[in-house]
Amino acid sequence: MQDIKITARGVQVHYGDTHAIKDVSVDIQDNTVTAFIGPSGCGKSTFLRCLNRMNDTIDICRVTGDILLDGEDIYDKRVDPVQLRAKVGMVFQKPNPFPKSIYDNIAYGPRIHGLARNKADLDDIVEKSLRRGAIWDEVKDRLHAPGTGLSGGQQQRLCIARAVATEPEVLLMDEPCSALDPIATAQVEELIDELRENYSVVIVTHSMQQAARVSQKTAFFHLGNLVEFGDTDQIFTNPSDPRTESYITGRIG
Amino acid sequence: MTDQHIASAFDRDLEEVQAHLMKMGGMVEDAIRESAKSLKRRDEELAELVRKNDKKIDALDLQIQEECARVLALRQPIASDLRTVLTVMKVAANLERIGDYAKNMAKRTSVLVHMQPIDGASGAIKRMSTEAQQMLSDALDAFIRRDADLAQDVRHRDLEIDQMYNALFREFLTFMMEDPRNISSCMHLHFIAKNIERMGDHVTSIADQVIYLVKGELPDEARPKGNAPNYEIPVADTVGGGK
Repeated sequence: MQDIKITARGVQVHYGDTHAIKDVSVDIQDNTVTAFIGPSGCGKSTFLRCLNRMNDTIDICRVTGDILLDGEDIYDKRVDPVQLRAKVGMVFQKPNPFPKSIYDNIAYGPRIHGLARNKADLDDIVEKSLRRGAIWDEVKDRLHAPGTGLSGGQQQRLCIARAVATEPEVLLMDEPCSALDPIATAQVEELIDELRENYSVVIVTHSMQQAARVSQKTAFFHLGNLVEFGDTDQIFTNPSDPRTESYITGRIG
Repeated sequence: MTDQHIASAFDRDLEEVQAHLMKMGGMVEDAIRESAKSLKRRDEELAELVRKNDKKIDALDLQIQEECARVLALRQPIASDLRTVLTVMKVAANLERIGDYAKNMAKRTSVLVHMQPIDGASGAIKRMSTEAQQMLSDALDAFIRRDADLAQDVRHRDLEIDQMYNALFREFLTFMMEDPRNISSCMHLHFIAKNIERMGDHVTSIADQVIYLVKGELPDEARPKGNAPNYEIPVADTVGGGK
């Protein structure tokens, strides 16, 4: 049993009149990949975005309840969302490298957070991050080429490397492989499995097989409710809620 | 799970492979019934038919295993769908073994018809095989109805088969000690009884699989077992017939 990294209790999210997340409580473990699954509009991405306060940027969005990172309330007034997002990194559905060089894509975060004292430090961070992103060997000879010139799969791994450059503790991934081909997907999945050693990873995915392959814990969301949360092994062989069964087996439910 | 898949071809694949399993189950039930009947009636022709039909059972097993592999590869079933496919594969393998035991009964019957019959043996074997066949029929019903209670009932009934086997074991031993000329036929009859006892074990395994299919886990509670027969050879002067 791993330590608990994030604790959510009674989380409710409203977008204007829409009740998007209904009283969700869940514990996210450290050094574990947790998958959020569910049909479109079930609230899984909304809930993921609550975990690093990405919803703060949406005016009509209101989040209530408690979300604790290592026991600290992340919605406390004293918490700086920018600092929080350095600790809780995010990778999006579409690879979105900055229109800068590969080097600067990685160096951007460490620079603004003051993680490097000098150029040598920064070089180290860039190399280490690209290695963690499993893309170092492919880009080490062209670090000053634009990041946007890489293939889709390479761009996504660059974005993962960028996310780990600020030494986060949690990595949130919102469908990181939906725009990738099967080979790039396999590379990213392999990377996710390696990242688990150092981080707590939460991944939103529409691919049941991907959730089954990469995660140890799975949460099934439906109509804003957390229907079932448990070991991935159990969810995919013997789910306890009939709604989970209907969804994962591809039935109308 | 009575809801249908969004992909209706997936439903058709699953239904088809289960229909083939039921067909195979029916053929194996027939094989048990006919092999016992051939022994009782000393019908060599019927015994030959059972042996021939086993090839069809084996072919159907192969077909079912291939269909299951195809569903696994193309549909990647999970949860209850996965359990269905896994259960079909295991049950088909169990049925194939039961078919082999019935074939072996028929083979020994072909030899036994040319020997002096042993009093009451073929009737007792017929009763034992009827029980095994009834258990199989119920286990297959439990599969198709997803009825874990019926499967549990089947598991418990294996005890009766074990007890019938133990009684026959002692009886054959006595016959053999009384008259060494009975040894050949009693050996064959004993193997036949043992075959039926093994059929009961395979039916129990099918019932276990049904419980896994319904509940997601195999039964952990140990089922009642018949006492192992006393394998010691009775002492000569208490039974008589010794030198």
